[in-house]
Amino acid sequence: MSNGKARDIWGEPVRTSASARFDRLGLKEEDLHRLLYYLKLCRYFDERMEMLYRQGRLPGAIYSGRGQEGTHVGTGFALRREDVFLGTHRDLSVQLTKGLELKRVMAQFWGRVDGYTRGRDGNSHVGSFAAAGTFAVVSMLPDSYPVACGWALAFKRRGEERVAVAMCGEGATSNGRWHESLNLSSIHRLPAVWIVNNNQWAYSTPNRLEFSVPSVAVRAEAYGMPGIRVDGTDVLEVYEAVGDAVERARSGEGPSLIESVSLRWKGHAGHDPARYVPREILDDYMGNRDPVKRLQDLLMSEGAVSEADAGALDERVKKEFDEAHDFAQRSPLPSGEDVTRGLWTEDGYWDSDPRGDGRTE
Amino acid sequence: MTTEGDTSVERGAERSPEVPQASPEEAAKDEAGAAGHGAEPRGKRSAEGEATFLVAIAEAMWEEMERDDSVFLMGQDIGVYGGAFKVTEGFLDRFGPERVMDTPICEETIIGTAIGAALAGMRPIAELQYADFIANGFDELVNVAGKHHYRVGERVPLVVRGPSGGGVRASSFHSQNPEPWFAHTPGLKVVVPAFPTDAKGLLKAAVRDDNPVVFFEHKWIYRRIRETVPDDPDFTVPIGRADVKREGVDVSVISYGAMVHKALEAASDLEDSGISVEVLDLRTIWPLDTAAILRTVEKTGRAVVLYESHRAFGVGAEVSAVLAEDGFDLLDAPVVRLAPPNVPVPFSPPLEDAYLPQVEDIVEAVDKLSKW
Repeated sequence: MSNGKARDIWGEPVRTSASARFDRLGLKEEDLHRLLYYLKLCRYFDERMEMLYRQGRLPGAIYSGRGQEGTHVGTGFALRREDVFLGTHRDLSVQLTKGLELKRVMAQFWGRVDGYTRGRDGNSHVGSFAAAGTFAVVSMLPDSYPVACGWALAFKRRGEERVAVAMCGEGATSNGRWHESLNLSSIHRLPAVWIVNNNQWAYSTPNRLEFSVPSVAVRAEAYGMPGIRVDGTDVLEVYEAVGDAVERARSGEGPSLIESVSLRWKGHAGHDPARYVPREILDDYMGNRDPVKRLQDLLMSEGAVSEADAGALDERVKKEFDEAHDFAQRSPLPSGEDVTRGLWTEDGYWDSDPRGDGRTE
Repeated sequence: MTTEGDTSVERGAERSPEVPQASPEEAAKDEAGAAGHGAEPRGKRSAEGEATFLVAIAEAMWEEMERDDSVFLMGQDIGVYGGAFKVTEGFLDRFGPERVMDTPICEETIIGTAIGAALAGMRPIAELQYADFIANGFDELVNVAGKHHYRVGERVPLVVRGPSGGGVRASSFHSQNPEPWFAHTPGLKVVVPAFPTDAKGLLKAAVRDDNPVVFFEHKWIYRRIRETVPDDPDFTVPIGRADVKREGVDVSVISYGAMVHKALEAASDLEDSGISVEVLDLRTIWPLDTAAILRTVEKTGRAVVLYESHRAFGVGAEVSAVLAEDGFDLLDAPVVRLAPPNVPVPFSPPLEDAYLPQVEDIVEAVDKLSKW
C-alpha cells in the first residue's frame, strides 16, 4: 500500500484489523480507491442536484439518498455487470455504481433526448438493462420486487449464473408484494437478493409505526431464508453482506434478506424539510456515521489513501459532474410531435436515433 | 360451428361454489378420453374434429410452447390440477414444472414475475384463475407492464389471460368483464375473442407479440362453442382486426365476446321479420379497429353497440365516439348502446338475466333502430 502506512520494527507494513478486512473482502488498493470515488461521486451528485433544485434550475423532483451511500454503493459494488439491480427513486447511487453513465442520467433529469428515457420519464425514474443491468424505477413500491423474481426465474431456468438484486426502503416492506416476492423466491430457491434500505423513516412515518417486530431482517425467518441486519453507514459491511448473499444466490442456495440501517439525512423529496426527524438523531448520524467520511478516514488511517488522493478524487467528481451537467444542457429536448411514439414495439421509435431528426432545443 | 343449448353446464372451478360443476357425462368423457396429463389438446377435439373454445386455447398454448422454449405458463392450480377450468390439463407432464409453474395465491406477484421474466427474454403466459382477480394484480399490469416500453424502450412480451364474463350464475366476483379497465390503460393490447378459431389464432399472435397482451376468455363460451380450427402451427389471427361474422345491410351490431353469439342468434330471428343485420366481432378491444367500425356503418347507416361490460364509460362509449367523430355522415340514426347497467353482476337468475342483454333485447333494439 502507499506511503504513510504504519510499519513494524522490521519495516513490514503493520497488518491492522482493517487491512485484514480488506484482504478478506478481496479489496485491493485500486478497489478501495474506486469505492471511495463512488461514495464521493454519489454524495457530490446529491448535493449539487439539491442545490440546482433549490435554485429553481432543475425541473421536476429530487429524492436525496444522502447518508445512505454506504448501503447504495456497497450494494452496487458487490454486483457483477451481468447481475441485475431493481431499485427505487432514492438509490440512484446503486445504478451509478453499477454503470449508468452520469451524463445520460443528468440528461434524464433535464428531460433531454440523451437521457435513458428520452424525456419520457424524469429524475431518478431511470434505469437500463442494456446499459447497466438496471430496472427503470417505478414509483409504486416495491413493484420491482416481483419483477426481480421474474429475472431470477429466467436466470434459473436458463442455468445462468446471474443474480437479481432488488432494493426498497423499509417503508415498502409493509406492502403485500414485498412479502409475496420473498415467499415466491424462497419456494423456488430463486437467485435473488432482497435488500431493504432502512433509513428509519418512510416519508414521515417512523419505524415504530411501520412494523412491530424488532427489525425487518427477522421477517426472513418467516420466508425460510437467511436475514441479516447490517450497518448501512459502513460501506464495507454492506459490501460484504451483499457479496455473500449474491454468491449464495449464484451458487443455487436461494435468496437472502439484508436490512441495511442508516438514516435519511434529507426529507422524502426536495420539498420536505423533514422536521419530524429529531435533531439529535440527525446530528449523531451526520456527525459520527457519515458513510463517505467513515471510509475516507479509515483508508487514510490505513495509509491506503493520502490527503492528496482524496483531494484528487474530490476534483475528479466535481469535474465529472460539471461535464455531465454541460452535456445535459446541450442535449436536445424531445419534440412534442413524438408524444405518441414508442408505446408499441412495432413503431420502431426506440430503434431510431434519438437525435436522428436533427431537432434541437 | 355448433352451439350447445342452455342446458349444457359450465365446467367450472371445483373450488368455487358459484360456478356449476361439470356434468357427470362431461367428467366421464374427460376421464375416459385423451384428457390425461401429457395428452395433446388436439386429442380433446370432438369425433368430428371440432375444438371447443377451451380446447382451441389449449392448442394455442401447447403449439407455442412446442415452438418456442422461452414460452412458459404460470398461475394458480394450472399444473397438477390442470387449471380451474382445465385449460392446461396435460401440460405439466408434457412440459414439466419449470414451464408449467404452480404459484401461490399472489396475483400481483404472478404478474410482476411474468413481467420480469419477459424483460429477461422469456415469453410468459400468466393465468388468472378468474379475470376478476386481475384487480389484485392491477398495479403491476398498469404501472409496470403498460408503461415500460414507452418509458424505456425495453420490451415486455407478456400474456395475461383469464376467464371473464357472466351468464353462468357466478355473481359479482366471478363474472366480471374487466376489458375496459385495460383498454383505457396505455400500452396494453386487449383481446376478447368469441370463436375457437379466433381464440387460437389470437392467442398465438399474443404469445408472439412483443407487447403485453391481456387476453380474456369468456367462460360462457368455453364449452358451448365449437368449430373446426386450423392445424397449421403458424396460423395466427392479427391483433387489432375486427371481423364481420354475419353480413347484413340494415343494422350493424358491433360486439365482442359472448355477446357476439347473442347477436348472431338475434340476427337469425330478425331475418324472419325481414331485417338484415350485420354482426361485427371486434375481437380486439384495443387497439380498436376503427376502420372496420366505419366500414360496417357505411354499409348499414345504423349501429347497436352490444357488450357485456358495464354500459357507462366503456367500449360502447368509445365505439359511439368513433362513429360520432369520424362517421357522422354515415349515420342514419343515433348510435344505440346495449349493455348491462353499472351495478355489480348479481347472482339470482332473474337478476342476472335482467342484468345481461338478452336475445330479445337485441331484437327489440335492432327492430326499433331499423325503423328510426
